[in-house]
Amino acid sequence: MTGSESHYSATKIPHTDFQMKMEDMPLSGPDNTKLEALVHDIYSELVEDACLGLCFEVHRAVKQGYFFLDETDQESLKEFEIVDQPGVDIFGQVYNQWKNKECECPNCKRLIAASRFAPHLEKCLGMGRNSSRIANRRLASNNNMSKSESDQEDNDDLNDNDWSYGAEKKAKKRKSDKNQNSPRRSKSLKHKNGELGSGVASEPYKYNYNTGINYETLGPDEVRSFLTTQCGVISEHTKKMCTRSQRCPQHTDEQRRAVRVFLLGPSATSLPDAEAVVESDSFDIPDGQTLMSRLQWEDSPDISPADSASSKASTNHSDSRRPKKKKRTPLSLNAVGGVGGGGGGVGVGNVTGGSSSSSSQSNISLPTKKKRPKLPAPSISSIYDDLN
Amino acid sequence: MSKDTKMRATINQKLTEMGERERLKELLRAKLTECGWKDQMKAHCKEVIKEKGLEHVTVEDLVVEITPKGRALVPDSVKKELLHRIRAFLAQHAS
Repeated sequence: MTGSESHYSATKIPHTDFQMKMEDMPLSGPDNTKLEALVHDIYSELVEDACLGLCFEVHRAVKQGYFFLDETDQESLKEFEIVDQPGVDIFGQVYNQWKNKECECPNCKRLIAASRFAPHLEKCLGMGRNSSRIANRRLASNNNMSKSESDQEDNDDLNDNDWSYGAEKKAKKRKSDKNQNSPRRSKSLKHKNGELGSGVASEPYKYNYNTGINYETLGPDEVRSFLTTQCGVISEHTKKMCTRSQRCPQHTDEQRRAVRVFLLGPSATSLPDAEAVVESDSFDIPDGQTLMSRLQWEDSPDISPADSASSKASTNHSDSRRPKKKKRTPLSLNAVGGVGGGGGGVGVGNVTGGSSSSSSQSNISLPTKKKRPKLPAPSISSIYDDLN
Repeated sequence: MSKDTKMRATINQKLTEMGERERLKELLRAKLTECGWKDQMKAHCKEVIKEKGLEHVTVEDLVVEITPKGRALVPDSVKKELLHRIRAFLAQHAS
């Protein structure tokens, strides 16, 4: 302002000439006060405006009847007054009142902290999703044939839509086990197997991981009949035989053949696996015993279905491992064409059924034969020497 | 002094044209509500209404009662800020 003052002090032009030009307005000392007065006037105008606005607002509220709405009687006012005491919130509630309290569980009669009470009850009573899942998993991981009956809730929970890995696996298991438990095998095996095999037929819908047949307890006839319908591959861990069907995906045909040789002797029944060409694992077994031992060692990662979830995972690994081996060999072997037919017959008798089935199969059997050298099997190559 | 009058008129006109007047109004209202002036005045209104009777109170009654008190009760900080802004506006646009 002072600057403008000095600027304009020289130019005293009559006001009429510059009505619209604010910047040309004369501003001297006395004008300053006028300016100030103007400022104050403007301010007063604004304040009055605000007051008037308020008056109109209040008047309208009064006439419309909502002006006194927020006023209740004295009692209510007192009731809802803001509380300002230490340790208490503005409503007068103590906010950590239940933190240190302990509750007695009606089930197990223990004193549990309040914040842990609900989860504890869930587990204690065996209700709720989590508790059934945990229970199922625990049961599944039992290697013993302890067929502890699960609660009704477990079944219900498993039928729920929210699958857990364990529940899903169990459902699949149940289905597959159901098919295997045909009446044929159940009777004869029942008395022989004692506590082990009885579970197979009796509770097809329960957790059948633990059902497997122990070959030691079976007589030869039973073994044979068993092996004609079931997979029968012996798990190295549990010495039990796989109770799944002949097409059980956990075991290969060569395993099945090996088991049959092992159990029934080299001249035993032929393996009805003609249609299992897809797996291309028709395994010719020359020296039953040594090969068997090797196979079993080989098979140990391929665990029987009776075992737990983790073992199933490892089964998958080993299953994937095998195909790699298979694939390698066909490339190298197709040149050796002629041996194919003969190779089929090399198998000591028991394989004849499978290998002689078709010439098409011979090509497949060739690669598989050659596969053996890749396995830790020095004796197998000796067979090939004989062939060649 | 007509010079003054003219000047005033001009300034007022400019204030309104540029929207500064509205802005100042809003600023003032907000500040007054913030500082509790409005609640204070409302309480005073209640007294007036109770005094005059709910049915018969008029705008004039309220205005007469409220305005002087309202003017007086504006806090100094609010007043100062507003004056400052007005002066600034004038300085920018008037001289």
